Amino acid sequence: MSIAFFAAFFLAWQYSIVWFDIPRYILTPPSVIVTKGWADIDRLLYYTWITGVEVVLGYAVAVILALPLGLAIAFSSILRRTIYPFVVCVEMVPKIAFAPLFISWLGFGLLPKVIIVFLVCFFPIVLNAILAFSSLSEELSRFSVSTGASVWRTFVKVRLPAALPQCFVGFKYAAINATVGAAIAEFIGSDQGLGFYIQIVTGNMRPDLAFAGIFFLTILGLALFGLVTLAERLLIPWHISVRHQSR
Amino acid sequence: MNPLIELTGVQKVFGAGPGALHAFGPVDMKIEKGEFVSLLGPSGCGKSTLMLMIAGLLDATGGRIAIDGRTVVGPQTDIGIMFQDNTLVPWRTVRGNIELQLELRGLSTAAHRASVDELLASVHLEDFQRRYPHELSGGMQQRAAFCQALVHQPATMLLDEPLGKLDAMTREAIRTDLQALWIQRHPTVVFVTHSIEEAIQLSTHVAIITPRPGRVERIISVDLPYPRDFEVKSSPQFIGYVRQAQEIFRGYGVL
Ligand SMILES: Nc1ncnc2c1ncn2[C@@H]1O[C@H](COP(=O)(O)OP(=O)(O)OP(=O)(O)O)[C@@H](O)[C@H]1O
Ligand SMILES: [Mg+2]
Repeated sequence: MSIAFFAAFFLAWQYSIVWFDIPRYILTPPSVIVTKGWADIDRLLYYTWITGVEVVLGYAVAVILALPLGLAIAFSSILRRTIYPFVVCVEMVPKIAFAPLFISWLGFGLLPKVIIVFLVCFFPIVLNAILAFSSLSEELSRFSVSTGASVWRTFVKVRLPAALPQCFVGFKYAAINATVGAAIAEFIGSDQGLGFYIQIVTGNMRPDLAFAGIFFLTILGLALFGLVTLAERLLIPWHISVRHQSR
Repeated sequence: MNPLIELTGVQKVFGAGPGALHAFGPVDMKIEKGEFVSLLGPSGCGKSTLMLMIAGLLDATGGRIAIDGRTVVGPQTDIGIMFQDNTLVPWRTVRGNIELQLELRGLSTAAHRASVDELLASVHLEDFQRRYPHELSGGMQQRAAFCQALVHQPATMLLDEPLGKLDAMTREAIRTDLQALWIQRHPTVVFVTHSIEEAIQLSTHVAIITPRPGRVERIISVDLPYPRDFEVKSSPQFIGYVRQAQEIFRGYGVL
């Protein structure tokens, strides 16, 4: 079904350009994007690799730092009163607006992009982790307490598995943010990567190549999202969100 | 000798100020070791609240609860509790859920394999032990939760409507099993139910609770021989006890 829908979409795109006689420098038909993109495939693949590294590094660092922080805030009433309001406020700041600053501070290299990807991924993960670790049902927490289990044992056997589904909401949201963050960071200041590529070819009146760049950016986003979804299926196959998909 | 569970002036008020809700008590009650005591009362009268207070999972607003002569100040870990909402976790199978109780207590699941098998068989869930809770009916989930609550063989059990969601036939069967277990091991049981017949069939004592704020209106000592099978249930004495309880509820206007 969805494959048919994709096909219809690309066909409509292809033929509406012919029918409405849209100039090639505004919009290119998919067939031209494929042939022209193929001609430039080396550069596209190399830039996909560059952007991919930024995305994966920023995302990984965000997960590694955000989960423990979310956990700490969920379990410490002091942190909940001090750091949590701060985190919520910072969440409201459009992180992407810092991109020009980071680039002016840190230059055109890898680091500012990783930081920006990190920033746009970090907050959804923290906020969902806080929610995840602080919403164990009253019955389950009473049950755990009534067994006299240690905090650690309760965490491993009850709290952690119960929290995973909500954590994955954050992981998925962050995965969607990650490529957007990387592309914008590259628009602003870069000499390589897909964002840089899209900007340069658009400036050269080559929408065909811009679309090819967008295509690879999309693939990158889908790959990351796919990996997170795969991890979700492996880790929480019992959860209702996963069960519905695999029916 | 001290009674096993002793309530002195126990009451519970939720919240404070004008929005405060007087949920339960004050109640004085003694439960001796090995007794089977049912709490019978209308919905909202504070039965679950009392259970949680005895288990040390909820603080009483006033009065004192003692178990074996020691005042309850924190969670009691050597009893078996079946909560009103089941505590099955969705990521474990039926068997895994039963073993969760053992694992949280640091008990060996291997050493308890036989007793888990036996429990599963007694509630007719052997064929479903590898299934997940969402693959079970409500009544089957309740039977699994029943096993989860009792697998560590506690000498004291607090059971909050353990048979509430079961159909009449399964309910009858599990009642019989519960009675057999009690006759065999004589644990102390506090049992919440809405069924007058069930309370009288199983219990040595039935505590009739008034509507909220719940107080003990009367304690009926049921003097009938065990096992109380179909024969006993159709005896005039049994019916007399049921009548007695019904009278009281009719007095409240809830029957
Ligand atoms: N956490 C709470 N906060 C405020 N009020 C509560 C709370 N828990 C229970 N109550 C109130 O206390 C009263 C007694 O509740 P409880 O759950 O003990 O009733 P119950 O006798 O177990 O009823 P049922 O038979 O329906 O399970 C109810 O009126 C309920 O609204
Ligand atoms: Mg209740």
